[in-house]
Amino acid sequence: MICIIALVVFSIMGIFSLTYRNLAKEAFDCVFRRITFRPCNTGFNEKIKSQLVAKLLNKSVFAARIFNKYFEVFSWAFLILMVWSTFYTVRGGYNYYLYGSCNGLNQVGFCALDPGGNNNKVTEISNGQCGLVEKKEENVTLDNVDLSSFPTKNVNSKDTIVLIGCYECDYTRKAYLDIQKLVKEKKTNYIFAHYPAKEDTNYLSEVGYCVYKEYGERFWEFNDYLFTVDKTEIYQSSYVNTILNKYNFDVEKINNCINNPLTKEAVNNQLNQLIKTHLYGTPTVFINGKAFVGPKPYRVYKSILNKFIIF
Amino acid sequence: MLDYEKIKVDFPLLTKQINNKNIIYFDSACMSLKPRQVVEAMNEYYLEFPACAGRSSHKLGNIVTKKIRESRQIVAKFINANENEIIFTRNTTEAINLLANSLYLEKGDLVLTTDKEHNSNLVLWQILVKNKGIRHNIIRSDDDGNFDFEKYKELVKDAKLVSMVHTSNLDGTTIPAKEIIKLAHENNALVFLDMAQTIPHKKIDVKDLDVDFVAFSGHKMLGPTGTGVFYGKYDLLKKLKPFLVGGDTVEYSTYVDHKMLEVPEKFEAGLQDYAGIIGLGQAVKYIEIMGFNNICEQELKLNQYITQEILKNPRIKIIGPNDPNMRSGIINFYIDKVDMHQVALMLDEMSNIMIRSGQHCVHSWYNDKKIKNSARISLYFYNTIKEAEELIKNLNKIIQIL
Repeated sequence: MICIIALVVFSIMGIFSLTYRNLAKEAFDCVFRRITFRPCNTGFNEKIKSQLVAKLLNKSVFAARIFNKYFEVFSWAFLILMVWSTFYTVRGGYNYYLYGSCNGLNQVGFCALDPGGNNNKVTEISNGQCGLVEKKEENVTLDNVDLSSFPTKNVNSKDTIVLIGCYECDYTRKAYLDIQKLVKEKKTNYIFAHYPAKEDTNYLSEVGYCVYKEYGERFWEFNDYLFTVDKTEIYQSSYVNTILNKYNFDVEKINNCINNPLTKEAVNNQLNQLIKTHLYGTPTVFINGKAFVGPKPYRVYKSILNKFIIF
Repeated sequence: MLDYEKIKVDFPLLTKQINNKNIIYFDSACMSLKPRQVVEAMNEYYLEFPACAGRSSHKLGNIVTKKIRESRQIVAKFINANENEIIFTRNTTEAINLLANSLYLEKGDLVLTTDKEHNSNLVLWQILVKNKGIRHNIIRSDDDGNFDFEKYKELVKDAKLVSMVHTSNLDGTTIPAKEIIKLAHENNALVFLDMAQTIPHKKIDVKDLDVDFVAFSGHKMLGPTGTGVFYGKYDLLKKLKPFLVGGDTVEYSTYVDHKMLEVPEKFEAGLQDYAGIIGLGQAVKYIEIMGFNNICEQELKLNQYITQEILKNPRIKIIGPNDPNMRSGIINFYIDKVDMHQVALMLDEMSNIMIRSGQHCVHSWYNDKKIKNSARISLYFYNTIKEAEELIKNLNKIIQIL
């Protein structure tokens, strides 16, 4: 069994060293003999065993004796461990490619390929509104959520992307650019929902609602600006008029809309709909109903819409 | 008395280190180390006069011809033979093949060998049994591993050729050659001795032995690889038909005929390994400078120490007699149910101690005795007692875990 382990280990080490490349060839020869039902009589197993036992013997006689006596058992154990770890490595790589995390979609455990966990970081919703249901990715859903009042474009597409995020959150800002790129490329149905995770930008929900209500498609220019401008500016509600002016919106009309009690009721309704998704942080992106919590790499979003994962 | 400081200078490998440890070379029965003088002599050929011998009459050709003749004379003198009785071959195996294919063996002729023959003195006779219908008989050793003279007396009466290993690479024992040859000649049988393991360690006088044919290899006696010697009594060599023919074996040829050259040229077909032959001459010179008395004394001292230490472990069995006086420079041992390859590999890994493991090209003996393999320590004069102590220390360490 040691030849199988040796083949894998020496193949990897052989990338960097000719010595190990030759050992890998020897190991391959041995493995090939095994899989063709011939005995591995090249002496490779003995060589590896002897080298390992000799190294151990220089450290501990007892350890060397045990290792030598139960070499086959150790070989099998290492083989099983190797197969097990290979499976998890491959699965981790697959998960990382598809979901941006080695551990699976929205799973926050350690991932060597994303050691900082950046692909899962969210701005947690701190107001407790979502506390009724445990914060779990599988609970995040669009079922029974009415999104008809939120800004929407490309309504005829078969694919739908829903971005729930807040203007001031760094992670949403990160995901926003990728989502815009994806929507532009794939022409998907796109729904944007502002969820003010930190309450500093609560007022922008009403502003956004009114801009979309009064100006329709022109909302997206305003939205793009809010996600790309220095966020300290949008903390100040007084600054909003400047922004509206900048985009030639009728400030008075928008302000009248904002002050209309019906607007407050509509925005509250929107918020209630978002709470029904059981989201626990922003950004939360739904692509054809599948939830992605945290800013994923662009390829992750795109792979859901691709026919064959990578294209 | 051997001067080890000088020997270290002559054998640079002995001071070389791998992983900060000196190399301890105990595999001289397979391949001896080469002194600097041999390598330099070969280099000199390639750098100074890399030409053909015996063919080209220009200056360089003349130098090579002279050097090759000198080597032939050195080797001849070394075993007390005549110059024209020395044929250069690639190794002992080729020499035995030359004999087997040149000797007029016919259907029914009996060839006798021992039961400890290297494959090179076994397989070719088995082939001739099949191809020519000769007979091949083996003189089995007695229970102590000694030559069974009584059995030999009985079988030699009918033999055409006695072809035996003189000193066995299996256990280092030497057969009583003089008595064997005498009895063979009394029964009109020819005698060939494989002296590959003898020549590097003992003074051999072919005339005194009255042996008909002898072969040995250069690489086991400080010489280069690819060199060997086949000795034959001149009158017998003249009667042998050439085995390999071609370049420099004929005096002339026409489109339909040729005339062979005399011995030894008629057996040395094609361009020879001139550098190797010159190196072999230097190797013989070096051995003579060391002196066989010194060589034997050092080997025996080491063999006595190693044998004594090894036998302290009751699990270890030495192949052949326990008496180191009877085993030349060889200590071949095994442990029941232990793969001796592992012992050899671990010695190498732990302390750069290089010994050989396996069946040592004497598969027939191992298969007969149902012994899987063994580890062979083979000594030469450049080995020291310090190296032997290191060997024993590491061997004891290994055996306690196996």
